[in-house]
Amino acid sequence: MAAARVFLVGGVISYRALFNWIRPLSYATTMLGIPLFQLLFFAYVGRFAGVRDDAFFVVGNAVQATAMGGLYAMTMTVANERFFGTLAPVLATPANRLALFLGRALPVVLNALAVSAVAFAAGLLLLDFSLPAARVPALAAVVLVTATATTGLGLLLGSLGLRVRDVLFASNLVYFGTLLVCGVNVPLDVLPPWLQAVGRALPLTHGVEAARRVAGGEGLGGVDGLLATEAGIGAAYALVAFALFRVFELEGRRRASLETY
Amino acid sequence: MAVIEAEELRRTYRTTTGALRRRTLDVEAVRGVTFAVERGELYGLLGPNGAGKTTIIKVLVTLLLPTAGSARVLGHDVVRDVREVRRRVGFVFGGERGLYERLSGLDNLRYFAELYGVPAREQGRRIAELLDLVGLSGRERERVEGYSRGMRQRLHIARGLMHDPEVLFLDEPTLGLDPVGARELRQTVAGLTEAGKTLLLTTHYMFEADALCDRIAVLSRGRIVAEGTPRALKERVGGGRVIEVEVFGIGEERVDALRAVGGVRSVAVEERGQVQALVVRTDAGVEVTPALLARLAGTTIGRVSYREPTLEDAYVALVEE
Amino acid sequence: MLVSVLEPLIFATIAFYLWGAGGREQTLLYVALGAGLMGMWSATLFGSGGLIQWQRWQRTLELLVAAPPRFLVTALPFTVATASLGLYSVAATLLWGRLLFGVPLAFEHPFLFLLALPATVLALGVLGLVFASTFVFYRHANAFSNLLEYPVWLASGVLVPVSLLPGFVEPLSWALAPTWGVRALRDAAFGGNPLPEIGACLALAVAYLTLAAVAMANFERLARRHATLSLT
Repeated sequence: MAAARVFLVGGVISYRALFNWIRPLSYATTMLGIPLFQLLFFAYVGRFAGVRDDAFFVVGNAVQATAMGGLYAMTMTVANERFFGTLAPVLATPANRLALFLGRALPVVLNALAVSAVAFAAGLLLLDFSLPAARVPALAAVVLVTATATTGLGLLLGSLGLRVRDVLFASNLVYFGTLLVCGVNVPLDVLPPWLQAVGRALPLTHGVEAARRVAGGEGLGGVDGLLATEAGIGAAYALVAFALFRVFELEGRRRASLETY
Repeated sequence: MAVIEAEELRRTYRTTTGALRRRTLDVEAVRGVTFAVERGELYGLLGPNGAGKTTIIKVLVTLLLPTAGSARVLGHDVVRDVREVRRRVGFVFGGERGLYERLSGLDNLRYFAELYGVPAREQGRRIAELLDLVGLSGRERERVEGYSRGMRQRLHIARGLMHDPEVLFLDEPTLGLDPVGARELRQTVAGLTEAGKTLLLTTHYMFEADALCDRIAVLSRGRIVAEGTPRALKERVGGGRVIEVEVFGIGEERVDALRAVGGVRSVAVEERGQVQALVVRTDAGVEVTPALLARLAGTTIGRVSYREPTLEDAYVALVEE
Repeated sequence: MLVSVLEPLIFATIAFYLWGAGGREQTLLYVALGAGLMGMWSATLFGSGGLIQWQRWQRTLELLVAAPPRFLVTALPFTVATASLGLYSVAATLLWGRLLFGVPLAFEHPFLFLLALPATVLALGVLGLVFASTFVFYRHANAFSNLLEYPVWLASGVLVPVSLLPGFVEPLSWALAPTWGVRALRDAAFGGNPLPEIGACLALAVAYLTLAAVAMANFERLARRHATLSLT
């Protein structure tokens, strides 16, 4: 019961406390505006380069938009604890660690879902992209799985942020990297094999692929393998992230390395 | 049974220096500290910066593992029974950090209420009580980034008391507060012992320890050099007297000459604006003033005064030993 | 610094692959220059805003504003310096393109190219100063400046010609330094006459400077009235 509240209520409060762009206006510009312009930018680049149609870029970038929250917001929500000097008081509580840690992902995932929806809407309004209403629920399911998986990677970066000072640099690199290797803007088969391999080991890649198929009319049954892989990759990152968090916590007690305040 | 027990507690920090040829250096912050605090007691750890006070607190609240020795809080080992200890202790670190700046004071407290598992229906009442106790009622909905130091410190205390802990650790709670804020805070702390809490407090303000603590341990370079009630500590150096002599410009050799006078325990020089004050601690029942003044012949001497030793004198004497 | 190099490299790589897949190999140098300019714009944008933000965190913004020299004069070297960090991104994308994608680095007018670079840096640097002035007052301005990365890339035609975009974008593009900067670099590389565009860069720099002076004076006064200098 207490753990459930730490997960739910604690997760929401900590999100408000640690996520930088919480002011509504800043939030709207950063979280919604950047994915929107990114989508337009790549759609036009695609048109000019003569590669694929608008739908390719709309789906790719709208699904990748989940990384805006899943990577940045998640990284900050864990790593900013160090910045505010609040890690010591939090770690000195008896709260269930798994609930404490994973609770922070919940608002991030919901937020990512909303961001993606706005990006899809922008694609419908501004670009040559259409989506029959009947396909929306299945697409939402795909985006939910993908957002969760991306957040798993965000948790890992957040954990690292407890130890590494410039973790936002890593977040930037991963965020921009996903634009290249996850099939978001560049079709995977164009990439050299080793970059394809990197892409397949990251979240998003399988989710983007599934989203394109669902948007193109395929049912969820046709993409269940892709979704299972995506979910598995996300879970693996989240697990490693939690293990790392625990290691840092225990090591912090032993070596006084948590910069406790 | 004592509420807090530390036995031969040691803590070493390993630091590395040098970029190319990395050398590891072991710094012994705490070197075998033993003490016990009884229920309802307010126990003070007094010492200069770097004496190991904060390290001891961090070990006792489970944020650091001891390198050697053991410690128990309410009978629970701080290494093995981590959750049991965390449930029952609260702590407050001095300073401005450690709060969620972008949240209101109220939300800061609500978050820790969740982390400490305070039941939902008790949270409202509990938080209201605490805000009242630390005098933040009416300001709780403002964001912490706009709080003064004193308000932050009081919010820290409210946070530390959130789960009604039996034992509270306060690390330099009045650090950086203005005199009025510090006095209010000391009243709050004194009120806590009346409510039956056991408190362990660190400070380097002598008068604070003197006014608040039932017993004091004086720490110097990781060791306890003296322990007892404030009165007992004063008596340890006391029985003697303190003579303060104002002088204008005095050389080190003159001070050494004063130290050689029979019956003089220590001589310290304090700069007081244009004047220097010689603080001379002497044995009881010895009249050293004529000998002192004789050795100061040829220098300009200002006021000469006598007083009883304070805890500060005891402290300086102990730490210098 | 690393981001200002890595980010354009990633974008350049995306563009190289897309151009390759679309069968447009002959314009890879066009892409490389565009991606380099993208990096220079990002460096300016985040550098000038980040500068003020960093002073806020360090609590030195108040000291700088209160110092006798006008804050505009104090800030200008910083923003031009951050824009010149963009030179790394131009160099890095060219080198990256040469090494990994075989982009031919043949410039028709190498000396004019070397003239166009500092003119572009200067124009972007003074534009950065305009942003810095808003940061003095709006402590959340970084949320907006983050937002300006993609639109300016689009509107200044660094990768996609402005003529492909909706009609209202073209007049906007004339007011943007990167528009003229990237045109000057491309003219110098492919054999046009970059001098008018270099002139446009310098004219824009003067216009930006005037704008920054007015904005800084106003925002400084507002910041003092609303006490936002010391907030982080």
